[in-house]
Amino acid sequence: MHTRFEHSLGVMHTATWLYDSIVSKSGDLLKQELAYDQQGLERDRRLVRLAALLHDVGHAPFSHSSEELFPRKRGAERFVHEDYSAAIIRSELRTAIEGHVLSANAGFKADDVAALIEGGAAAGRAVFWRDLITGQMDADRMDYLIRDSHHIGVQYGRFDLRRLIFSVIAIPPDKENPHPRLGIEEGGWHAAEALVLARYFMFTQVYFHKTRVAYDIHLRGVMKEILPGGLFPKPAEAGLKEFLKWDDWRVVGLIGRGRAGEHGRRIIERNHYREIYHTPEVCTDKDLRELRKVKAKLGKLVVAEETAKKSWYKTGNTDIPVFSKVRSPQVQPLSKYSKAIEGMKENNQVLLYVDSASREEAEKRKRKGNQQR
Amino acid sequence: MSDIITARLATIVALAEKQPRLGRTAVMKLCYFLQTLRNVPLGYRFTLYSYGPFDVSVLSDISSTEALRGIESKTVLYSSGYGYEISPASKSRSVKALAPDFIKKYAPDISWVVEQFGKFGSADLELFSTIIYVNRESAQAKAKLATDALADRVHEIKPHFNRSYVQTKVAYLEEQHLLRSVKATSGSR
Repeated sequence: MHTRFEHSLGVMHTATWLYDSIVSKSGDLLKQELAYDQQGLERDRRLVRLAALLHDVGHAPFSHSSEELFPRKRGAERFVHEDYSAAIIRSELRTAIEGHVLSANAGFKADDVAALIEGGAAAGRAVFWRDLITGQMDADRMDYLIRDSHHIGVQYGRFDLRRLIFSVIAIPPDKENPHPRLGIEEGGWHAAEALVLARYFMFTQVYFHKTRVAYDIHLRGVMKEILPGGLFPKPAEAGLKEFLKWDDWRVVGLIGRGRAGEHGRRIIERNHYREIYHTPEVCTDKDLRELRKVKAKLGKLVVAEETAKKSWYKTGNTDIPVFSKVRSPQVQPLSKYSKAIEGMKENNQVLLYVDSASREEAEKRKRKGNQQR
Repeated sequence: MSDIITARLATIVALAEKQPRLGRTAVMKLCYFLQTLRNVPLGYRFTLYSYGPFDVSVLSDISSTEALRGIESKTVLYSSGYGYEISPASKSRSVKALAPDFIKKYAPDISWVVEQFGKFGSADLELFSTIIYVNRESAQAKAKLATDALADRVHEIKPHFNRSYVQTKVAYLEEQHLLRSVKATSGSR
């Protein structure tokens, strides 16, 4: 069984490991730059552990697939699962956190845990540790890549976790970066490179696989069908209580009882949408022009268009700083060490889908245009 | 590509055209200022890190703009570390042409943000953006922070900055009328 609870325990474990390793290697820097003392470091260790354990507690059923159905927060901005995590921590979990003897000794509140997860100013200097919860080398990513690859049965997400963890340090400030930041000791750059490559392969081969993405579309359709008004309730008071009643099992039950509309039926019958066209993983303007032409040919046969740029798992392009005792300058980006990383480009692939029943017609239309040219 | 994404890519090109040798931190913070101070609907979700408000989607968009050759980016090594320099590239016009109405509508805001903040280095941009983030967060919570309390809170997040330096930056933003719902420091007026 592959559950989010198991993943949450893994993230807490990995975050603790990272925290201890960083403090052991960079404790003096943290004391000097962020005014930590031993008590402060012990307090924030507990805070980081709790934030890591609870970072995903606000996920909707089937995680990221239905995040587009979160209601509007202000203007065009929608709530995200971190908003629900923070709200749950501040309400449902407040007593459990604040009433615990370890929290009392550590002197923090549920609000401090929530602030670290959502990126609030109340986190104070502990915001330095937010990169361990959500960042380029966070414990979340380190855990899910290895755990997902294990459960799925692929080899793509693997990297040397121990080597990586024991290579992460706090990098001293410089003129361009006036704050300490997380980076890698030079000896661990291949482990960091392997993490980036693992993420790239998991994205292209698993998370953005055409069939997995098709089922995201159907799960989103299911949620839209069964949620009152097609949206999740807001993360406040009665809305939050309602939100907490939505879990995977309730949704699976509704799908099984035929109460999840057309998309639910498609999931039961495994009659998912079919990919009819995809751009290259890195689109140029020429590829975008070609995409527009294909869309024009297919017209209303296109039932969904999914882009890697909107995927939660998108690869991003942050460059990990590497610290060397012998090179000059001492801090250089990972892309200066690794030709593979230097050559990597953002994946902005676009996938077009049609109904399985109109696949043949769609193929004909695509070919017809090509023959005419 | 959706309208919001083409608008973002076009905005990055427009910023690079206005400000030569733009750094990545500068693009991040200028996008934050555009969205927060000028209500330009870029659709980013900035949250606070020790280096100020950040959304990884900005870096993703920089990379996509580069792939479309709207901009080019090079890594620059300094004596103590490294940075990036972003400049317009061969297809800058065609990337801007992906969102012509958006660029036309928000051109004054793009000019304003470069004029207002383009002269500052990345350290100051991080500090300014953190001050604005904390100020907006307390304003949304209907809390009216005095300017010295605002400086204290920012200093707690960024203790590596001298507190009096933080205060001078808070004062600068207040003079420019870029802070919301602040009370004057007790005893200072």
